[in-house]
Amino acid sequence: MKRYVYINDDNLAKDIYCDNRISNRKYTILNFLPKNLWEQFSRFMNQYFLLIACLQLWSLITPVNPASTWGPLILIFAVSSSKEAWDDYNRYLLDKKANEKEIWIVRQGIRKLIQAQDICIGNIVWLRENDEVPCDLLLLGTADPQGFCYVETAALDGETDLKTRSIPSACMGIDVDLLHKIKGVIECPSPNKDIRRFDANMRLFPPFLDNDIFPLTIKNTLLQSCYLRNTEWACGVAVYTGNQTKLGMCRGIAEPKLTAVDAMIDKLTGAVFVFQIVVVIVLGIAGNVFKDKQGRKLWYVQYPKEGPWYELLVIPLRFELLCSIMIPISIKVSLDLAKSLYAKFIDWDVEMVDPETGIRSNAANQAISEDLGQVEYILTDKTGTLTENKMIFKRCCISGRFYGNESGDALTDAQLLNAASTGSADVILFLKVMAICNTVIPVRSKSGTISYKALSQDEEALVCASARLRMVLENKNGNILDINFNASPMQYEVLDTLEFTSDRKRMSVVVRECQSGELFILSKGADETILPLTYSGQQVRTFAEAVEQYAQMGLRTLCLAWRKLEEDEYQEWTSMFKEANSTLVDRERRVAEVCQRLERDFEILGVAAIEDRLQEGVPETIEILRKAGINFWMLTGDKMSTAIQIALSCNFVSPEPKGQILIIDGKTEDEVCRSLDRVLLTTRITESESKQDVAFVVDGWALEIALKHYRKPFTELAILSRTAICCRVTPSQKAQLVELLKLCDYRTLAIGDGGNDVRMIQQADIGVGISGREGLQAARAADYSIGKFRFLKRLILVHGRYSYNRTAFLSQYSFYKSFLICFIQIFFSFISGVSGTSLFNTVSLMAYNVFYTSVPVLFSVLDKDLSERTVMQHPQILFDCQSGRLLNPSTFAGWFGRSLFHAIVVFVITIHSYAFEKSVMEEVAMVAVSGCIWLQAFVVALETNSFTIFQHLAIWGNLVGFYAINWIVSSIPTSGMYTIMFRLCEQPSYWITMILIVATGMCPVLALKYLRYTYRPSRINLLQQSERLGGPILSSGIIEPKSRSSLDKDIPTDSVYEPLLSESPSATRRSAGPTQRLDSVQSQSPPHSTHTRKDN
Amino acid sequence: MSSDDGSSKKVSRKPRYSRFTQQELPACKPILTPALVIGILMCLGIISIPIGLLALSASKNVVEVVDRYDDVCIPSTDQKVGFIKDPATNKTCIRTFTIPKKMRKPVYVYYQLDNFYQNHRRYVKSRSDRQLWNPKAESSTTVCDPEGQTGDGKPIVPCGLIAWSLFNDTYMLSKNDAALQINKKDIAWRSDRTHKFSSNIYPKNFQNGTLIGGGKLDESIPLSQQEDLMVWMRTSALPTFRKLYGKIETDLEANEKITVTIQNNYNTYSFNGKKKLVISTATWIGGKNDFIGKMYMAVGGTSIVLGVIFSLLYVFKPRPLGDPSYLSWNKSPTLD
Repeated sequence: MKRYVYINDDNLAKDIYCDNRISNRKYTILNFLPKNLWEQFSRFMNQYFLLIACLQLWSLITPVNPASTWGPLILIFAVSSSKEAWDDYNRYLLDKKANEKEIWIVRQGIRKLIQAQDICIGNIVWLRENDEVPCDLLLLGTADPQGFCYVETAALDGETDLKTRSIPSACMGIDVDLLHKIKGVIECPSPNKDIRRFDANMRLFPPFLDNDIFPLTIKNTLLQSCYLRNTEWACGVAVYTGNQTKLGMCRGIAEPKLTAVDAMIDKLTGAVFVFQIVVVIVLGIAGNVFKDKQGRKLWYVQYPKEGPWYELLVIPLRFELLCSIMIPISIKVSLDLAKSLYAKFIDWDVEMVDPETGIRSNAANQAISEDLGQVEYILTDKTGTLTENKMIFKRCCISGRFYGNESGDALTDAQLLNAASTGSADVILFLKVMAICNTVIPVRSKSGTISYKALSQDEEALVCASARLRMVLENKNGNILDINFNASPMQYEVLDTLEFTSDRKRMSVVVRECQSGELFILSKGADETILPLTYSGQQVRTFAEAVEQYAQMGLRTLCLAWRKLEEDEYQEWTSMFKEANSTLVDRERRVAEVCQRLERDFEILGVAAIEDRLQEGVPETIEILRKAGINFWMLTGDKMSTAIQIALSCNFVSPEPKGQILIIDGKTEDEVCRSLDRVLLTTRITESESKQDVAFVVDGWALEIALKHYRKPFTELAILSRTAICCRVTPSQKAQLVELLKLCDYRTLAIGDGGNDVRMIQQADIGVGISGREGLQAARAADYSIGKFRFLKRLILVHGRYSYNRTAFLSQYSFYKSFLICFIQIFFSFISGVSGTSLFNTVSLMAYNVFYTSVPVLFSVLDKDLSERTVMQHPQILFDCQSGRLLNPSTFAGWFGRSLFHAIVVFVITIHSYAFEKSVMEEVAMVAVSGCIWLQAFVVALETNSFTIFQHLAIWGNLVGFYAINWIVSSIPTSGMYTIMFRLCEQPSYWITMILIVATGMCPVLALKYLRYTYRPSRINLLQQSERLGGPILSSGIIEPKSRSSLDKDIPTDSVYEPLLSESPSATRRSAGPTQRLDSVQSQSPPHSTHTRKDN
Repeated sequence: MSSDDGSSKKVSRKPRYSRFTQQELPACKPILTPALVIGILMCLGIISIPIGLLALSASKNVVEVVDRYDDVCIPSTDQKVGFIKDPATNKTCIRTFTIPKKMRKPVYVYYQLDNFYQNHRRYVKSRSDRQLWNPKAESSTTVCDPEGQTGDGKPIVPCGLIAWSLFNDTYMLSKNDAALQINKKDIAWRSDRTHKFSSNIYPKNFQNGTLIGGGKLDESIPLSQQEDLMVWMRTSALPTFRKLYGKIETDLEANEKITVTIQNNYNTYSFNGKKKLVISTATWIGGKNDFIGKMYMAVGGTSIVLGVIFSLLYVFKPRPLGDPSYLSWNKSPTLD
C-alpha cells in the first residue's frame, strides 16, 4: 500500500520500482500477432468465419476453393490489424520521443544529462523554465526564495491557468549546492490515479534538519506532463515513474460501447445463424435421402458402397459451407468504414466550430454515431454547459443594503461606488473579503495592467469586481498579498488556506494584517454552509432573503463572512491543522473537521450575486430537441430556486399555465416518501391528460433517500416525467441517475463540461463533453466533444440521424445481397442432386462479397434522406430513429423477402433462358452472377435518396468494373472462366436476359414502394415529398434540386409549410432564414431576452 | 503526454471547408412521383412487348425435331440395364421422322439427356484441367478420383469421372436412302481446342479398367482433336441438357423423311434418364426457347396494367404529395 522513496540513493530502489520508460503501446513486436489475433477472434463473427475457413480446407466438403473465404477473411484481418499496428506504431513514436528526451538529474552528487527513460525513483531531477515534467516529482527546491513555482497543468486536467506549487517546509532555505546531496525518505501511497491528492510524509536525514516528519500534499508535487512556467528552475525527487505516474494511472482503457444498432445487428445475425442451421439440416437430410434413393443409381458418379464413418455428415457440412455466405463477411468492415466516416463528418463540420475559441467538434469514439440518432434522454449539467461559465459580479447585498437592483449591475451603482470611495466600513470589509479570500494569482503584464489567473470563475469575478471598486489585488508574493485600496497600499500575510471542497462548499483564509498584526479568518461560501455559522444574535434574515431574491433571478450567490481571531486560539488551531494535514489516511475528512473548529461565530458581511449567462442558442436547442421527443434532465449543484429559474429560461419547462413544476423535498424518509407519492400521483393524472408539461424538481438530499429507499416509485416517476431538475447533486448521484435511466432501457446522453461530470459522461451511452472554461477533463472523458451546447442539436439531429439511417440501410443491404446469392446456391442444389455443388466459381464468390456488392453501397454513407434544414424544422422526425423504425426485425424481414424474390427471379430466368444447348455450367453461373449485380445496382439506386456524383460513379461504375474484372479473368487461359465472359457478351440473348431480370425483379419492388410512398407514406416520405416539391423551402434552399416544373401544377406550392410551423411560437422567425441567423439574433439580445420572450 | 499535445493541436485547427466534408455535395434527389413511376412502368411495357414479340418470332422461326429413342431402342424386357451393359448385344436401332418445315443450313444435331446430373458434386470435381493441357502434369490425377489411375497405378489420360462417362451413342443420318453427312469438325469451343486440350497429349489407359463407363477414345488422336470429349466435358448446369453432336451442312426441305441409325450404347436405364435426338436450326436467340419471349410479354403486360391502375388511382383517388396534414404531429397536439 505504501511506497518508501529514498532521496538521492543510487543503490536502492532501482530494482523494486519501474524505470521511467513510458509505454502507451498495446503490443510489442513479438506479441502483436498473437495478441491482435486473439482480440479479433474473441468476436463471435470472426470465430464463425474462422471455423468456416478451416472447414473449407477439407477438400471433400468444400464447394469452392478455400480462397473464397480465406481471401476476404485475411483481407479483413489485415485491414484491422494494420490499423491497430499503425496506431500502435504512432504511439510508440510518441513514447520514444518522450522517453529519449534529455533530462538533468543528480548522480553521485553531480548533475548529469540522461534520457528521460533512465530516471529512477529517488533521483533528483532538475527542470528549467518551460520544461515538461518527465515524471511525478516531489518539489525540493526552486529558484524562488519563498520556495514557490508555477506550473501549467493543461495536459493533465485541461485547466489552463497557472497553479502555484511550493516546496515542503522542510526544504525551505536549503542551499542549491546542498540540494545535490540531500538525503531522506518519503513515505507515499502506492501509485494511484488521483491527481488531486498526494497524502505523503517526508523525513530528511541528518545533517538536513532533524528527524521530524513533514506532511506533503499535492501542492508539493510536479506531476508528469505539466510545464514549469514563470520559474527559472526547480528540482524535485522522482516519486512515481513511467506508467505508474498519476497521468499513467489515469490512462485507463475505456470500455468499448456498443450501440443499439450494433446490438440489433448482432441479434439479427444470431437469427440468421439459426435460420442457416435450419436450412443446413433440412438440405443435409434431403441430400442424404437423395443420395440413398437416387444417387447410388447414378453410375457415372460412382458412389462407393461403403462410405467412411462420417459419411452422413459430409453433405450437411457441404451445405454449411455453401450457406456460410448468408452471414456477410464484409459487414463488419463496411460498418467500420462507414462509422469512421461519420466520425470524420463530425470532426469536419464547420458549423460545429466554436466561433469564439475556434474549438471544433471532435468524435473521440468513432463507433457510436448511430446512437446519437437514438437518444431518448439527455442529462445535462448546468454551469458551463447551459451557461457560459463566464461569471460576472452583478449585485450584492451588504449589511442589509441592496446594490445594483435598479441598474442591474452593482458595479455601476452610484451608491456602491460612493460607499467604496468614502470608505464605509462594511463595504470595505466586504471588498477585502472579495479581494483576499481566494486563490487567484495576479499577473502583472509589462504594460502594467493586472490580469488574474484563477481556478474558479467565481473568484475571478469577485476579484475583478473588487478591483473595479478600488480594492485592487496587486501582487501575490508567496504568502504576502499586496492590496491597493483607494491608492493606499496594504499588506496581508496569508497564514492558512482552508480549501474549498464540494462537501464543505466554502473556503476560508486565515490572514494577518501586516501593519497591525491582527488575525482574521475570511470566509466565503454557499449560503447554507455559511449562514448557520454566524455568532448568536446576528440577524441573517435579510441575507437569506437576499439569497432567495437573487436565486429567483437565476444568479449564483455567495455569502461572505469574517471573524477576528485571537493569537492563542490560532496557535492552538494551527497545530491541529498541521497534524490533520499530515495524516495519510482519510486526510480530507480530518482536515474538514479541523477547519470547522475555526469557521464559527462568523459575522456575515453580505451576499454577492454573480451572473452566469446562458450560452447562445440554448433555449432554442432545448426546444428543438424536446420537440424531437428527447427528454431532458438537468443535474446541477446549484440551489433549487436558481436551477428552476434557469430551467424556465432554457425552455425545459413551459411557463406557468402550461408547465407545472412539482417539488420533491423532505429531510427524512417519511417526508420524501410522501412528497414522492404526491408528485407521482399528480404526474400520472397530468400525463394521462397529456396537455401539460410536467417537470419534477428534486434536491440531492431527497434524491439520495429516494434512490435508496423508494427506487421503484422514483423510477416510475422518471419514466413518466419528461423533465426533471435535480439540484445539489454530487457527481456520483449524477452517475446513478444515468444508471437508473439505462436500467429502464433508455438511450442516454450525458453532457457536461467539468470534472464533476466525468463519471456521468462515462456512465452514459453517449458522453458529450463541452470543451469550456472548466478545462478539458470532461471533453477528454467524453465520446464527443463540442464547443458549445447549441451544437448538440446538429450533433443529434443531423449527424446522429444520418448515421442511424445510413447504417440501417448499409447493414440490411449487406444481408440482402448475401441472402440473394445464398438463395441462388440453395435453389441450384435442388437441380444438382442436392449434392452441395456451388454454382458460382471462387473468383465470383469472393469478388461478389468484397467488391461488386460492397463498393456501391459504401457510398450510401453520403445519402441524405432529408435535407438538414428540413430535419431542423421538423425535429419530430427523429422519433423514427429513436424507436428504431428503420432497422428492426420487420424491416429486416422485408429485405429478406426481397432477396428471396430476387433470388427466384434470377434463378428461374437464368435456368430457363440458358437451358438445353446453352446450359454450360460456367455460362449459367456468370449469367446468374451478372443478374445479381444488375439487380443490386438497381436496388441501391432505388433505395438511395440523394444521388451525388459519387453515388452515380459507385453504382454505375461498379457495373463497368464488374465487366472489366470478368473480362480480365476471362482472358487468362488457365482460369476456369477462360473466354466465358466474351462469349456471353457477344450473345444478344445474354443482354436480353439481363434486361428481363432487372425488369422482372424491379417492377414489383418499384410498384410496391410507390404504393406505400403515395398511399401509406411514412413521416420521412411525407417530409421528402414536401421538401422536394414544396415551394417555400426550395426558394431559400442552398442546394436543393430543381423543382419539377411538370409537377408543380399538381402541388399546392403555397401554404405547404404553414400548418407545420404553426405550433411553435418562433416559427415565423425560424422559417425566415437558416438557424444560424437565429443564433446571431440571440447573441445580440440581452442575456435575459429568452426569458422575457417567453413571457410575452 | 505528447499525444495530448497532438490532439489539442488538432482540435484547435479549423476544419477546411469543402462540399464533401460538409456533406453538401450537389445531389439529385428524385422522389417517386406518380408521373415518374407511371412513366417508368409505361416505358417498360412499351419496350418489353416488342422485345418479347421479337424473341417469340425468333423462337418460332427455329425448326426443331425432337425424337426420344431410349425407350424404343431397347427390347421391352426387364433386363434393360443388362442389355445395355452387355457388349455383345446388337444395339443398332433405326428411327425415322419427317422434317416439318424447311431447315436452312447449318442444321445442328444434338443429343439430349434428361435426368443426368452432370452438375453433381462428385462428378463436376472429378477432372484435371492441368493434365489435359500440360504434358508434364500427366500424373496429376488426385482430383480425378475414383477414375484417376488404373488398378496398377498408371495415370489415366484423360482422367476423372466426366471423361470416363463419355457419351457414346452414334447417329447415322440418311435422307431418301442417301447418307447425310454429319460434320463433326468444329463442334467444340475454339478456346477448348486451342487452350484447354493439348495437341501433344494422347489418350492413355482410357477405359482399360474393370469398370467400363462410356465411350472409348482413339489413342492415336491427340486430345485437341477429340471434339466429342471436349463437348462432353463442358459440363451442364442443368440435369436436362443438349450437347452438339454435329452439323449438317445442307438445307433440309419440308416433309423430307430422315432415317437415323442409332447405336444405342449409352446407359441411362439405371437412373431412368431419357435420351433424345434433336435436329434444330438456330437464330440470334439460339435454339427454340419461348421462355424469354413469353416472360417479356408477361412483364410488359404487367407493367402496362400497373401503369394504368396507378393512373386511374391517381385520377380517381388523388392524394397530394407531401401534404403536411398527414404528419402525425400535426394530427394530434402530442407526440405519439
